[in-house]
Amino acid sequence: MRPAVHDAIARVGASVHGNPASIHRSGQRARRALEQAREQVAGLLGASSRGIVFTSGGTEANNLGIFGTAQAATATRKRIVTSAIEHSSVMAPLAELEGRGFTVTRVAPNRDGQIDPAAVASAISDDVALVTLGLVNAEVGTIQEVAAIAQASSRAAAIFHLDAAQALGRIAVRVADLGCDLMTVSAHKIGGPAGIGALYVRPGVNLAPQMLGGPQESGLRAGTPNLVGAIGFGVAAEGVASAIDDECARIKMLANALLTHLTRTIPGLRLNGPRHGRVANTLNLTFPGVLGESLLIALDLEGVEVSMGSACAAGAVEPSHVLTAMGRRPAEARSSLRISLGWSTTPKEIAHAAEIITRVWRRVASAEPARAIEAAV
Amino acid sequence: MSARVLVAMSGGVDSSVAAAMLCEQGYEVVGIAMRLTPEGLPAPTRRRGTCCSYEDFEDARRVAERMDFPFYVIDLRPDFAARVIGNFVSEYVGGRTPNPCVMCNREIKFDRLWSRARALEAGYVATGHYARIESDAAGRFHLRRAIDGTKDQSYFLFTLGQSELARTLFPLGSMRKAEVRERARALGLANADKPDSQEICFVPDGDYARFVERTVRPAEIRRGSIVTGDGRAIADHNGIHNFTVGQRRGLGVAAGVPMYVREIRAATGEVVVGSRDELNSAGLVARQVRMVDSARFDGAEIELEVKIRYRHPALPARLRMLSGERAEVRFEHGGPAVTPGQACVFYRGDEVLGGGFIERAVEG
Repeated sequence: MRPAVHDAIARVGASVHGNPASIHRSGQRARRALEQAREQVAGLLGASSRGIVFTSGGTEANNLGIFGTAQAATATRKRIVTSAIEHSSVMAPLAELEGRGFTVTRVAPNRDGQIDPAAVASAISDDVALVTLGLVNAEVGTIQEVAAIAQASSRAAAIFHLDAAQALGRIAVRVADLGCDLMTVSAHKIGGPAGIGALYVRPGVNLAPQMLGGPQESGLRAGTPNLVGAIGFGVAAEGVASAIDDECARIKMLANALLTHLTRTIPGLRLNGPRHGRVANTLNLTFPGVLGESLLIALDLEGVEVSMGSACAAGAVEPSHVLTAMGRRPAEARSSLRISLGWSTTPKEIAHAAEIITRVWRRVASAEPARAIEAAV
Repeated sequence: MSARVLVAMSGGVDSSVAAAMLCEQGYEVVGIAMRLTPEGLPAPTRRRGTCCSYEDFEDARRVAERMDFPFYVIDLRPDFAARVIGNFVSEYVGGRTPNPCVMCNREIKFDRLWSRARALEAGYVATGHYARIESDAAGRFHLRRAIDGTKDQSYFLFTLGQSELARTLFPLGSMRKAEVRERARALGLANADKPDSQEICFVPDGDYARFVERTVRPAEIRRGSIVTGDGRAIADHNGIHNFTVGQRRGLGVAAGVPMYVREIRAATGEVVVGSRDELNSAGLVARQVRMVDSARFDGAEIELEVKIRYRHPALPARLRMLSGERAEVRFEHGGPAVTPGQACVFYRGDEVLGGGFIERAVEG
């Protein structure tokens, strides 16, 4: 977490006790703090604070946006348009809706993870209830072009939902410029606390609440709000709004330095995703001749934390569906790792990590060559 | 050599105590749970007590948290499918009775896990097996039965040679199961009273024949007749994979005396049955024979004891090496049913000398 977020949570958390929904004065103080946080988050999105619905995180925001739209849609709208490289919190609700009679069109990306806006737009017609797309891909960092998709959605009167969890704090995400009806954001991606996110809902959009109970969050999300989380989110949003350009430039420089070093020392290393038109904080790399799982564990034991695909229920890593959708062979997906940089990453850490990654890759490649493993299967 | 040790953890009490003991002995423990069984098997929640269910992984993870060592789940499903399950079904459809636990040790734990250990700069691999490894003054390694004879698992480990034994640790070899459970309780391990796993992990319902039928192409199933020793067909059967040499139940034939499977002829699909007396063999031929310390044997005939099934006692026998990693074993006093596919393991007293897989019985 950012230090300012920590401080704000400690300060406000100590003085504000009430339930924002309560009538008494401590409730009123709590409500003021919650509404201030809402304005701070709205400010980052260029939205009116009335459109911000706090949730428990990006997953709940995606669930609310998707199920809420599907449930509110008229009976003639039974189609949903999305891509093949979405986050699991989008894919799983869509799979569930398929079981409830919706048809889902999943547009495939190109080899760099870019979704052709014209292909999405041409799939949008009057029977589409929802178009849902990740603005920035979680695994390869590709930034999608959405202007044409927004226009096509609007023409067809379909709801356009953007999952901007990975975009927030890395590129401008102003809802008016992007032309979306719904937008998912999450606090911990910008140095805020985990367990708080929000769904932007454009005023006038008809959304069915998925959590029923009290009238909180304009009736769209019942339950006592996570006040401390919201306060942290608000402060993080304000912090990132003022620092976004500097921070992104710094991270981009560090990521480029790391990539340059690794490309020089690891023959055959490949960057997944486009050279340009991607956020800088994530490097998704295919390491030749090794199992990503093995490299990941070896790096972790050396203090370098990277990720791969997604964890299964048993805690093992699964090859990334994003990379296979981008045309990588399963073996290539199994050799790929994600290195993420953040607002707190330092040049010294990057230099150190670059040296360790090269050394560990050499060791793993010679001790457990991936080619031999593939041949044995 | 690095004091880092990869401990293969199933979530069971044995491997948990093994990991905890190595921690206490000052090793740098890295816990590894292996995901082995493929998708499409019965729901993991119903498979408690076999390896690899999600709850078992969580039990292992809790041990790692409690003892404060890193823990990872690794995915060896492709290797397991190709090298263990593939071998299991091809043995059954070939009329033999495989031992997948031996194959899993050889192909997964002491091969794949070993290259992983090198990749992670670990000097050792450890498991919760009940067996002992000792080194002598000359620097040679000896594989011995566990102190607890009822739990001894040395039978499953005969494929380990000198280079493997030098880098393998079996912390439980000198302990009794009751002590291990006691130790688990003292360490506060939540799984201290968890039942031992029994059946083959990828066939949780124990119905091997059905598993084989679901896995292979129908054309590979070899149907045929049940015949007597003099070649008389007495019944039809639905595939030789339903039979194992020495089997008595489920033959579907009525005879005055109890009938047993004597031989399975894969080429013709014949299952030969006979009386109990006709089961006994004079010896066997083993293939893929490995000696734990080949330097100790010069190729002459060796007197030793042989175990031809995990739960059978070791029988006095003479071993003679043949060409092509084969060996002939002759029982001193005549032997029981010899089941092709099973491991036959050579002992002298409590020491494992080596072993192989039974190719066929030898008569008279």
